[in-house]
Amino acid sequence: MNQRERELLEEVADLLAIEEYRGHRLHSALQRLYRRHLAQQERLERLVTIADGFQKGAQQDLQETRQQLERQHRRQHKLSRIADGFQDLLHERNQALRDVSRQDPLTGLANRRCLHERLEGLTVGTARQSGTLSLVMLDIDHFKAVNDRHGHVTGDRVLVTLAKHLMGSLRQHDMCGRWGGEEFLLVLPETPLDKAHLLVQRLTDQLRGLRIPADGDTLSVFITASAGIAEWQPGEGYQATIERADRALLAAKRQGRDRCCLAEA
Amino acid sequence: MNQDLNLAGSVSTPAIQSDWQAGRLCMQGDSYPENSYELFGPVIGWVEAYLAQESRPLELCLELVYLNTSSVKVMMDIFDLLEEAYQGGRRVEVVWHYDARNDRIAELAEEFKEDCSYPFVIRAMEVAP
Repeated sequence: MNQRERELLEEVADLLAIEEYRGHRLHSALQRLYRRHLAQQERLERLVTIADGFQKGAQQDLQETRQQLERQHRRQHKLSRIADGFQDLLHERNQALRDVSRQDPLTGLANRRCLHERLEGLTVGTARQSGTLSLVMLDIDHFKAVNDRHGHVTGDRVLVTLAKHLMGSLRQHDMCGRWGGEEFLLVLPETPLDKAHLLVQRLTDQLRGLRIPADGDTLSVFITASAGIAEWQPGEGYQATIERADRALLAAKRQGRDRCCLAEA
Repeated sequence: MNQDLNLAGSVSTPAIQSDWQAGRLCMQGDSYPENSYELFGPVIGWVEAYLAQESRPLELCLELVYLNTSSVKVMMDIFDLLEEAYQGGRRVEVVWHYDARNDRIAELAEEFKEDCSYPFVIRAMEVAP
């Protein structure tokens, strides 16, 4: 209610209170109008209060809903973050398993499974680019005798030493894996037979100088190796190249060991 | 309800043991169940019942390794139940053991811990190789 309204109501109330107007015909009509106005005014105020209450309630609800939404949002965010973390973990675990399943546990070299995978891809690539590829099957001479005489610990040490030596002497794109037992397979991309021959000769020469401690370091074991080399032929499956290298290795063994033989195409 | 749970773990589900008398719930292993509601429904039920019917403390001991998304959600739900109880004056505690060789698990446990104001211990465990 503003000032003017209040003044008007006061004026009307004053007029109604004057004794001499009581008998006037307009007095009773004005008085009824005045009371009706007051009643209406009260109703209006109640209405406003109720409406305000509803609005306030609605606002509180909105606020709560907002907070709830925010909480859920945070929770969802946290859930995805943690779930992603576990996903990464699983991925790493798979990767580690994959690595382990492709590696020879003793020497850390590629195992036979890994060699097969690599050769599969490599022969396809070599064929496409009309490149060359040589495979070397290398076997430690009289390895069984080393095991029998000095024990398996020394035998394992021989294998590890040879593996390290091979890895250290190969070129960047060459690959070396443990084919099984004391047999190693060297994969030499972009290498024709004659170059592979030189490389293997140098390698086996160095091998003779390797001193491997045995029997509690009281003596040293020296090793030699025999090797068979085959150059992959266009149209040939890598398995066939490996077989030819293997036959050349057998020939080297038969010719007295500590040498390398070349497979015929 | 004070029927205890004793579930043997499998490749995809954790082993679960509850001990109403001791006020302890333990879970170990990987968790990527086909139906996480079916697996964890009774677990949530056990926690709710224990918190409602008892006034003794509750200890949760975990040796969980891999959790899929729905299992992460269940764990968050359980941790929330514990938080609510703790806010109501209950003594609750979580101890999460992890393989010392796998500290990624500890990082993830830390993330779970973030919103929990009750004691939440993340402890490395030396495992024989």
